[in-house]
Parts: sequence; C-alpha cells; structure tokens
Amino acid sequence: MIQTQKKSKNDLAAKVTGNTRYLHDMNLPGQLVGGTFRSPYPHARITRLDVSKARAVKGVAAVLTAEDVPHLEFGPTKYKDWNILAKDKVLFIGDEIAVVAAETREAVDKALSLIEVEFEQLPAIFDPEDSLQEDAVEIHPGVERNRPMHVLVNRGDMDQAKQEAHIVRSGRYHSNRIYQGHMEPVGVLASWSDEEGLTLWAASHIPYRARETYAAGFGLPEDKVRIIVPPIGGSFGSKYVLKLHVTSAALSMKTGRPVKMILDRSEDMLTAHPRVPLTYDIEIGAAADGTFLYKELTVYGDAGARIYWSPNVLATACTRTDCIYNFGAIKAEGHLCYTNSSPTTCMRGFGNAETLFAVESVIDELALGLGMDPADLRMKNIVKQGETTVHGYKLDTCNLDLCIDKAKEISGWERRNELPANRGLGMALANHVSGFRAIDPRFDGSTAIMRINLDGELEIETGEIELGQGMSVTYARIAAQILGIPEGGIIVKSGDTGRYPFGIGTLASRSTVMGGNAVMKASQEMQRQIQALATQVHGEGAEFRDGQVHSDGKAFTLKDISAWYRARHAGEEFKVKETYVPDTEMPDATYFGNPSPNYPFAAHVAEVEVDPDTGRTRMIGYWAVHDSGTIIHETMAKGQVIGAVAQGIGWVLMEDFQVEEGVVRNPSMMDYRMPGAHDIPHVDIAFIQEPDPNGPMGAKSLGEVALDPVPGAIANAIAHATGKRGTRLPLSAERVWNMLQS
Amino acid sequence: MHEHQLNLTINGCENKVSGDVTQPLADVIREKLGLTGTKIGCRTGECGACTVLIDGKPVVSCLVPAASAEGHDVVTIEELSQKDDFQRLVQSMLETGGVQCGFCTPGIMVTLWAWLQDRSLFGGDISSALKNNLCRCTGYQSIIAAVEQVIAEEGGTRI
Ligand code: FES
Ligand code: FES
Repeated sequence: MIQTQKKSKNDLAAKVTGNTRYLHDMNLPGQLVGGTFRSPYPHARITRLDVSKARAVKGVAAVLTAEDVPHLEFGPTKYKDWNILAKDKVLFIGDEIAVVAAETREAVDKALSLIEVEFEQLPAIFDPEDSLQEDAVEIHPGVERNRPMHVLVNRGDMDQAKQEAHIVRSGRYHSNRIYQGHMEPVGVLASWSDEEGLTLWAASHIPYRARETYAAGFGLPEDKVRIIVPPIGGSFGSKYVLKLHVTSAALSMKTGRPVKMILDRSEDMLTAHPRVPLTYDIEIGAAADGTFLYKELTVYGDAGARIYWSPNVLATACTRTDCIYNFGAIKAEGHLCYTNSSPTTCMRGFGNAETLFAVESVIDELALGLGMDPADLRMKNIVKQGETTVHGYKLDTCNLDLCIDKAKEISGWERRNELPANRGLGMALANHVSGFRAIDPRFDGSTAIMRINLDGELEIETGEIELGQGMSVTYARIAAQILGIPEGGIIVKSGDTGRYPFGIGTLASRSTVMGGNAVMKASQEMQRQIQALATQVHGEGAEFRDGQVHSDGKAFTLKDISAWYRARHAGEEFKVKETYVPDTEMPDATYFGNPSPNYPFAAHVAEVEVDPDTGRTRMIGYWAVHDSGTIIHETMAKGQVIGAVAQGIGWVLMEDFQVEEGVVRNPSMMDYRMPGAHDIPHVDIAFIQEPDPNGPMGAKSLGEVALDPVPGAIANAIAHATGKRGTRLPLSAERVWNMLQS
Repeated sequence: MHEHQLNLTINGCENKVSGDVTQPLADVIREKLGLTGTKIGCRTGECGACTVLIDGKPVVSCLVPAASAEGHDVVTIEELSQKDDFQRLVQSMLETGGVQCGFCTPGIMVTLWAWLQDRSLFGGDISSALKNNLCRCTGYQSIIAAVEQVIAEEGGTRI
C-alpha cells in the first residue's frame, strides 16, 4: 500500500533533508540551454556583428541580437534605461549583445565562440565624480552630467547652526562594492506559449515589480507574464529584476521552447550587480555640551551603467540616519552617477548601513573631542518615542534609549577604559523602516487569503516572498495564535503571480509587518466567520475557541467546519481575503512623509583585537540589542540578527568586490572571501519588546536593521583599539596596517 | 571526451552510468541519478554545497572526477535523511534555527553528520569541521548550536 509521506508543512524541514527543489533542480520537457554573449569593453560602439556562423552550429535553436528583439522604454524604476540586447553601443563589461539557445551546453559554447563582432572603443568613466564633470563622455544620451538623479534636502537654519557650533568633525568616508553572496547562483527557466503568455520560474523576491518591468520590455500586458518563484537560495538584494530573465524570455518566445539559464559562479560574479558604492563628505557640528547642531552631507553614488535600484539607495543614504538622531539643521546633497561599470543595486540595509558607517564614525570622533563617553553622546541626541522626526517619521514606539542601556549592560561597556592593549569596544545605533510607502505608488500594503481545506488544514496565501528569513513560520504563528490552532496544521503559500494575491514583495524589511498585518486581519475575519457559521449551524450556544466549535458538549474541528460551509455554499471552499492598507504617507519631493507603519531600532556593540604587526582584526565579541516590538518567532528572529551581523563582519573586515576599469578582479569565492564559521564570534542578542500599535501582534521589522549598525560598531571598535580612524571600507588587515604606520 | 561506462556505488545501490570519466561526481549524482539534494554553488570546491560522503568522509563532489569514485561508497543527503538517528540532527537544526534559505544546508548536514560519527575528524572541533562549508544566511551560530544540542542529548557518551 502506498503511504503518503508525512512531511512537515513548513519550508524548513524540507530544506534540511535536501528535499527542497530550487530552480536549478527543475527542468521542463523540451528545454533548451541558454547562454549570453557579452561586451568585453566598458564603453564601445558595435561596428559589426555577425552571428551567421553561430546560427549554423548543429543543435542551435536561436541566436538573438538587437535586431530580433523589441526596443521599448523599460526598467524597474522611473528611469527607463534598459534594453533587452545592446543595439549600437555597449555600456559596461558584461553588457548583453547576443543570446543563444541550443540543445546542449556544448552547442551554446560553440555558438558563442563563433559570434563575430567589432567595436570602436569609447572613452569610459569609472569614478562617479569624474562622470559629473562637464567634459565627461555621455553614457546615456540626454542625461546631463551623467546624473540621472540629484537629491537635495535642506531643513533648519544651517548658517546659524554652523555659527553656534562649538566642535565640528568631518571627513570623507567610502563604502565599497559588496557581492551579495547568494549561495544559489542566479538563473531562470522561461517558457512562452501563445495561450499562456510568458511564464518565468525565477527566484525574484519582488516578482510583481519584475513582472511589470518585463511585460513593459516586450510590450505585453502585465497579466500575460507570470512569475513563479521557486524557493530562493539566498538573495540579500541580488535577485530582484535581472536582465537574464528578460533575455531567456526572448529566447523562449523565439524558439517556442522552454529555455533554462543558470549562471556558473564566475559568470554570476563577473556580471554581478553589487551593493552601490557610496562616497560621503560629511560634517557634524555640536554644542559644548554635546547637543548636535547640524549635519551636512554630500553623497556620490555609483549607479553603474544602468539603473537597477540605486535611486532608492541614494535617497535612503541622504535621509534615513536623520531619523535616529536629532541633528538640528540638515543639509544633504546626493548625486547618482552613471559610470561604465556593471549596474549596482540593493543589498540588505541599503543606503542606511553605509551612511551609518560615516555618521557613527564621526559621532565617535566628536565624543573623543568632547571628552564624552560615546554612548552618552548618543543617548543625548537620539530620537524619542512619540516624536515626529525631521523627515516626518512618526515614532509611535521607540526604545532606542533602552537599547543603549541594555547594550552597555550586556557588553560590559564599563570595561571600555580598562581594556588590554590593542582591544577596542565600539558602539553604533540604527533604525529602519518596516516597508516603505514610495516603493509602489499604487499600494504599499499586503493581501492575505486564508482557506480551510477539506481535510481541515488552514492555508494562507500571500503576495510576499519567503527568502529563508522565516516569513512562512511567522505567518503561521500569527494565524495559529489568533485561531487557536497548532502551527503545524498551517501551510503558507507564496511566490506565484498567477495564483496568489498581488504583493509588493520582500524588500525594505516589509514582510513581517505588511504581510503579517494582512495575515492577522484575515485570521480575525476567519474567526468571525467561523463563529457566525457555528451559530448558524448549532445555534446561539455554539462557540469557536481553541480552534474548535464547541456546542452541547461536543467539539467540531476545522474539517467539520469546512464541510458545513461547503454544504451551504454550493460546494465552495471556505475562504476569506483581507487587505491591510497601512496608514502611511508618501514622502513628498523634499523626502518628507511618514513612509512606514513603524520603525525598528537597535544598539550594537563590537569588541575587537587588532594585531599591531599585521593590522588584522579579530572579533572578540558582539552584542546586539533590538527594539523590533514584539518578537513573533524568536528562533528565526535571532537567526536574522546573527546572519546580518555575520554579513556585516564580512563587509567590514574581509569583503571587497574589486572592479578596476570595469573588470571584476576577484570573481570567485576563493578570491572574494566571505566569513566562515571561524570568523564569527558569539553574538549575544537581547530584544526590548514593547508592542507597536501598528505591527501585527506588535511587531516591527528586523532583517535589515540588524545589519545597519555593524559597520559603524566595528569601525568604532577598531578606532578605539588603535587610536586611528579608518574611513574606507573594508578595514582589511592591509588598510589597518597602513593606518597604523601613518 | 573519454566516453566510458562507470560503476558507482551511490547510497548503497550499484549504478552503471556512461559519460565522460572526468565529469564531476556532483553532475552524475544530480543529473544522471536525479539526486538533487546535493547542490552546486560554485563548482570550484569553495562553498561546500555539493558535499557528499565518500567512505564516510565529507568530500566536495564537484571536484571529484566520477571515475575516481568507482569502488568507493558514496552517500548523499537523500540516504542520510532516511536514517533514524539523522532525525535528531534534523530536529535540532529546526529547533535552533540552523537553516534559512537552505541552499547550503544539505552540504552542511552531510558534514555535521560525518563529524558526529567521528569527532576526531577536523581536529575535533565543530567550527573547524565547517571550514569547507559556506553559509551566507545564518552566521553559523545556530548550526553549531544544533550540533551541541545533539551532543548534549546524547549525554556526551560517544565522544
Ligand atoms: S559546488 Fe562544490 S564546493 Fe561549491
Ligand atoms: S541557509 Fe542560506 S546559505 Fe546557509
């Protein structure tokens, strides 16, 4: 007899036993292999392109060039500068010129090797400040000074503040390119049919925006594009919208067959869209008692050759940290610059973690100048519960003060002045959003559908995406607590634009609060409807509690309830659909508004030891205290914090995605070293759990705010240990050693 | 191409596979035998996602030419996950939060299992045992906690 295997219903158990099918484990009948012919030059005109020999290779089904694809205006942001394949100019090394689909990998490689192309090289720019020069070569026609976006923010009386300042600290800080380091390489499986339109199996955590972008690229209605999201093997920002998805779609449309492309690690790295590098000129002034009077900031962002998500990174970099401290007068100018490097994009904590590296470093310099404890200087200037920040964020809950106190307590901050030689303790704070109103002008909430299956299981459908952060188990827990049923009986489904409700997706730390609120609303509505149904079936005495209907001493399960409903509704399933629309405000042209339902905060402390002979930093300890409201799933929440701290440690001490003149110098995991088990110290975590009125069960976000303070905390610890201030990430052994010699 | 017939013992079954003798064992496991629990993160021996056991020792199967596995006992995550005492490790990983995106996890589970069987491997220390396995999500702490929990449940009897 066949027994169905009893498997746990959440995604995690399958992952541990190797049962999860990721994209690269999937295949379709008749599927072709795809490959890409890319520009070897950072900026060049294509003077000749001949693919006839490639097309003649046995087993090749299609070779596409710019002549074979539409050229419509499209792109994932309002800056529509994408193409499907390069027409007459290439803008960076790796820019797509032609794509091949064939029966075998060998045929693809052979065809790629037979493509004939000639170029006329053009001057190229790699430094954002160079691209702003009047005489710089034009990268995109009509974009003045190669600057697609220019941010200007002014609040308060800067002149007055500068006159009053007793102490000023300033500097030029630089945050580097970081490879997101997703363990699963980027890939896609595309299938076109005239009836169904385009179906993409693609690990995008923002699939609805990807759908909109890709549909525009082909001039298709959005509902002719369906994105099915298999389990995602890590993203951290890298797997959002990708050209690979578009070119494979074009190949499938041309051939009428499914096309699969999985990048190998070196192609993934050579064509990667890393964290946006940002350069800061920053100055903060304070009164003699340490009260901040002003902050002035100029930011240069390297967008690379096309716009992925860099405008949002720049806007965040220019504004977000002003909602942690009351700086007084604020001035920020941001330049987003095109260069001839591979486009840069989002990575966890984008814009905020980078600016915090600069801000938190300067604050420690101020504390040093004032002879104050850096924790006290912070405490004096932080935002408080009930305040509306200078950019309009409404802080219904803010326990940053408690976070600082707790971080001092658990890290033994009072040891700071008595540490052994070469040891240092550094603190940094952070804030974040839980979703962001400006991501999609139409909507920033979330919808959940909840149904009771025939066998009494509860299913939840959401438009948000599981990235391994624990979204599914979190939603299951919310529903379980409201309905009084075991978490194990709940299945959370997501990741198919053709089946599940519209969603914005997982970015801006939105899944717990936005999707969680929708699940909470759906659970409450389900509870109300079950009670109403119970009354209808068993009379006034019937009561729904603890997941069962109780009536006349009898208990009825969800299975019974499902049957009652179906019997009364033409066999239809018992289902509710609820939408959460947060009470947020779209930021205006000056970036003023209340863009998130709530705001998480954190205080982190890092302890390091720096070897004076080598400059090498060893992590001694790490303490992370978070105000993320109620913690719904503590195990997964801690996992978010530790994972983020590990990524931050990698960023500050070891990782540097080196791109010289547009060429990636370290395109392997050997040369781009990410932290291993030995590189991470024990991370001590504490949560300050005051429920937030706008969070589901009182929760605020956590995934990104846990990374935001890490660069600042470690940089401050190194400065404390060495007496020297590092201003350029990473603070690698070589850099610190050089600093020590200076 | 050196087309050849190979006899491979994988998860206790004899398999005859044909193909290039230099093809990586990982590809044979995944593509010829359909055992997709073994993952490919790099193909260059740097990530550990493709870890399998060869004669009980964890090995990155992307670097092993299939032919050199002939005559050896290859075990993948699919086989391990059928074992009763493997479930304790599974349960611990779920309880401590040792898994997030899960892409590294099968490789890590194979390594952890091997180390739990023979703790003299890798100098006796669990974070050293993990030196060939990268995880970008978890920061390793909860993975190590999972192993410690298994050991604690055993009462330390098998060290
Ligand atoms: S795939 Fe074998 S070590 Fe990465
Ligand atoms: S769980 Fe994602 S890489 Fe380890």
